[in-house]
Amino acid sequence: MAESRIRVRGLSKTYHVPERESGLVASLKSLVRRTYRDVEAVRDISFTVEAGEMVGFIGPNGAGKTTTLKMLSGLLHPTGGEAHVLGFVPWERKPEYLQQISMVLGNKSQMMWDIPPLDSFLVLGEIYHVAPGDLKHTLDELVELLEMQDLLTKPVRNLSLGERMKCELVAGLLHRPRVLFLDEPTLGLDISMQSRLRRFLAEYNRRSGVTAILTSHYMADVVALCPRVILIHRGQLLYDGELNGLAQRLAPFKLIRISLRDGSVGYDEDMSLPQGVDLVERENGRLTLRVSRAKAPSITAHLLNTLPVADLSVEDPPIEAVIDQIYQGGNV
Amino acid sequence: MRYLKLVGSFARASAQNELAYRANFWISLLHSGLEFATGLLGVVVLFGQVEMIRGWSLLSALALLGVYLLIGALRNLFIGPSLDALAGMDGEIWSGRFDFTLLRPVDAQFLASFRYWQPLALIDLTLGMGVLGVAVILLRQSLSPIHVATFVVALSAGVTILYAILLALTALVLWSPGFFFTWVFDALFQMARYPVGLYPGWLRLVLTWVVPVGIMTTVPAQALTGELSVEMLAGSVALAVTLFVGASALFRFGLRRYASASS
Amino acid sequence: MSRWLNHRGGWALIRRTWLSWMQHRSFFFLLAFMWMIPPLVSLFVWSTAAGGATVGGINRGEFVAYYLVLILVNQLTYSQTNWTVGDVIRSGGMNTILLRPMSPIYDALASEIAGKVVYMVFVVPVSGILALILHPELHVTPRNGLAFVPALVLAWALRFFWGYWLALLAFWATRADALLSMQDSLTFLLAGQVAPTALLPGVMRQVATALPFRYMVGFPVEVLTGQLDGPELWTGYAFQTGWLLVAVILFLAVWRAGVTRYSAVGG
Repeated sequence: MAESRIRVRGLSKTYHVPERESGLVASLKSLVRRTYRDVEAVRDISFTVEAGEMVGFIGPNGAGKTTTLKMLSGLLHPTGGEAHVLGFVPWERKPEYLQQISMVLGNKSQMMWDIPPLDSFLVLGEIYHVAPGDLKHTLDELVELLEMQDLLTKPVRNLSLGERMKCELVAGLLHRPRVLFLDEPTLGLDISMQSRLRRFLAEYNRRSGVTAILTSHYMADVVALCPRVILIHRGQLLYDGELNGLAQRLAPFKLIRISLRDGSVGYDEDMSLPQGVDLVERENGRLTLRVSRAKAPSITAHLLNTLPVADLSVEDPPIEAVIDQIYQGGNV
Repeated sequence: MRYLKLVGSFARASAQNELAYRANFWISLLHSGLEFATGLLGVVVLFGQVEMIRGWSLLSALALLGVYLLIGALRNLFIGPSLDALAGMDGEIWSGRFDFTLLRPVDAQFLASFRYWQPLALIDLTLGMGVLGVAVILLRQSLSPIHVATFVVALSAGVTILYAILLALTALVLWSPGFFFTWVFDALFQMARYPVGLYPGWLRLVLTWVVPVGIMTTVPAQALTGELSVEMLAGSVALAVTLFVGASALFRFGLRRYASASS
Repeated sequence: MSRWLNHRGGWALIRRTWLSWMQHRSFFFLLAFMWMIPPLVSLFVWSTAAGGATVGGINRGEFVAYYLVLILVNQLTYSQTNWTVGDVIRSGGMNTILLRPMSPIYDALASEIAGKVVYMVFVVPVSGILALILHPELHVTPRNGLAFVPALVLAWALRFFWGYWLALLAFWATRADALLSMQDSLTFLLAGQVAPTALLPGVMRQVATALPFRYMVGFPVEVLTGQLDGPELWTGYAFQTGWLLVAVILFLAVWRAGVTRYSAVGG
C-alpha cells in the first residue's frame, strides 16, 4: 500500500514582516527605506504521524500550530525543512493530494450562506468527484452520527454556531479524506456541543481510520481525543508523546483561587501560608495559590479553616501557565 | 466534461442562493429595468438634441448601447459575482476563507472565475439583445452571416478582455487586500456606454490602449454596422489573447505570493 | 441638557468620526472617484455634441462648467448616511444611538460632515485639474452666487431627509437599501445628470421639474451656472422648500412609527 503517513523533518517558517513604527517621522522614513523584521513562526519541527492516529497539537495562541497545519495542507510554503503527507509534498498542491485531505477551521465557514447545507454538500461532492451513490451513503452516515437530520434543509444563516460546526464537519468529511486537519474546531461552542463533537470525532476516527491532527488551546479537547500530543510553543516542538506523561510531568499542581471576606486579612503581608503553597497572585482580597496535586485536598481544608474565605475554587492550571512553567524550568 | 458539469453545479447552487430571498427577485427586476431605462434615455435625450455626432447617429449609438448592456450582462452573469466573492467587500481574500478555495482539488483560477452565478443577469442580457436587435433592424443593415460571425468573434474578444482585466485587478488584491481594485474598472467601464469617438482625442487613446474599454463595445458594434476593418478585428483578438495569458500568469504569481506570505 | 442642544457632544462626535474616516481615506477616495465618472461621461458627450456651436443654447465650455459644478454639488449633497441606517437598525445599533443623551440626528450629521470633508479632499483637487485641462466657461453673477448657497443647503437637506425616511423603512422591511439604490437611479436620470433639465424633452422636463430629484442636485447647479432667470429661480426655490417640507414630515412620521414598533418588537 502506498505511503500513508505524515512525515515532517526540520520544518520551519519565517516571515519577513515590514516594521511599522508609529509617528510621522517614522512613516516618512519608511517611504525611503523599509526595514524588515524576521518572525520565526515555526522553528525546526520534526515528527511522524502513523496512519489512523489522532494527534493533538497544543500550545498557547500564536505558538505556530495553525501555521504548521497550513503547511501540511499545502496552503503555505515553508522556509526550511521538508514534509511528506501520504507520499506527497503538500505545497506542490497536486490535485491527487488535495483530493485525499481535508481541513476544518473552527472560526471560518465554507458553506454557502443562504441555501440549505445539503445543497452546499452537493456542490462539494461535485468538486471532489464523489459519485452520487457514495455521496448519499457517506452523508447518511455522517448525518446520523451527528444527529442533524433536521438541519439539512434550513438555510445556513439560520443555524446556531454549534449546528454550523456540524455542517462544517460533514463538508470536510464527505469525500472521505485519508488525512484530516482540524484547527480549533470547538472554538466558541458551549460545553455540551463541545463534548458532542468530541464524541463524534472519536467515533469517526475509530470507524474510518482517518489520520487526524487536531489543534486546540482547550485541554479538554485533547484529553478526550488524542492519546498523543505535540506541544508547540513559540514555534518549537517541546514535547511529543503520551498525554498522560505530559499532564503528570508538566502540571503536577493545582491552582486554588480564594476570595476573602471584606475587611479581613487582605492587605497584610503576613499571611502565614502552610508549607508547599506558593502565592501566585494577590489582588484586592482575591488570592491565587499554587499547590501540588497531592496536597491540594488537605491544603484546601486547612485554608477553609484558617482564613475568612468567602469563595474558593480549585482549578487545573491553564495550558499557558503550564507552558510558562516549562519555559522557566527549562527542557521537558 | 468534468469542468462543464462543475459549472452546471455551481450555476444551480447560485440560482438557489439568489432565489432564497423572494423580495430580491422583484427588486433586482426593478433595478434592471431602471438601469436599462436610464441608459436608453441618456442616448435618446442626447440624440434628441443633435442628429449626428462625429458620424454616430441615434441608431448606431443605440446599437452600441445594446452591446454595452450585453457585455455588462455577461459580466454580471458569472465573472463579476465570482471574482467579487474573492476581491470585493467581505471577500474571501480579506476574510481568510480563500484558504478553502485553495484546498480544493480543482484549479483555483477556474473556481475563482466560474463559482458564483447571478441568473437574473439573463434579464439584462435579453434587454441588451433587444436594443441591439431593434437598432440593427432599424438601421436596415442586411445582416449577412459574415457580419454575425465577426460580431460573435468581436464580442467574445471583448468579453475576454473584460475578464482578463478583472482577473488581473482581483490578483492585485492578493498583494494588497483591502483596496477594491475591481471597483476602479467598473467605474471606468461606464465610459463604454457611448461610442469612443464621442470622447476627446486624448481620452480616446486612453480608452483604447490603456484601459481598452472602448474596444469592448465599439468594435463589436462596428462589426454589425459593417464598418469594422479586418485589422481592428485581428487586433482586438490578439489583445484578448495577450491580456488573458498575462492576467492568468499574474493571478498564479499572486497565489504563490499568497502562499508564502500569509499567516 | 436638552438632547437637541448638546453642541459640545456633537462637535466631539464630528471630529472623532472625521479622524476615523481619514484612516480609510483610500476607500472613500475610491467611492468619490466612482461617483465622478457618470457626470464626467455626460460632460464629454455633451461637450462633443456641442462642438464649436451650441446645443439647446449651451456651448461646449458651458457644458464643461455645468458638469464640473455638478460633480461638486453631487458630492456635497450625497447622503451616504442613509445607506448605513438600515444596517444600524438591523444590527441593533439603534439601541446605542437612542440611549445617547444627544438627538440621533447628531450621529447622522457627524458622519455627513466628516464624510464630506474627506471626499472633498479628493474631489476638489481633481476637479481643479480637470478644469485646467478642459477649460470650462463659467460666469458667476453676484446674484447667482448668493442664490447658490441656500439652494445648495436646501438641496442637501432634501436629499438627506428624503433618503433617510426611505432608509427608515428598514424598521419594517429588510431590503430598504434597494429603495435607496432606486433613488440614486432616479436622481441620475431626473436630477440633471443625464442632461441639464432644460434639455430634457417635453414630458420628461415637466416630470423632472415636478419631482423632488432635480432639487437635490440639478437645481443648485442651474442656479450657479446662470441657466435660470428670475421667475424660474423663485419657482425653483418654492418647489425645493415644498419638497423639503414633505420629506421632513415623512421622516418624522416614519421615525415615530418606526421607533414605536422597534421598542415594541425588540431591538
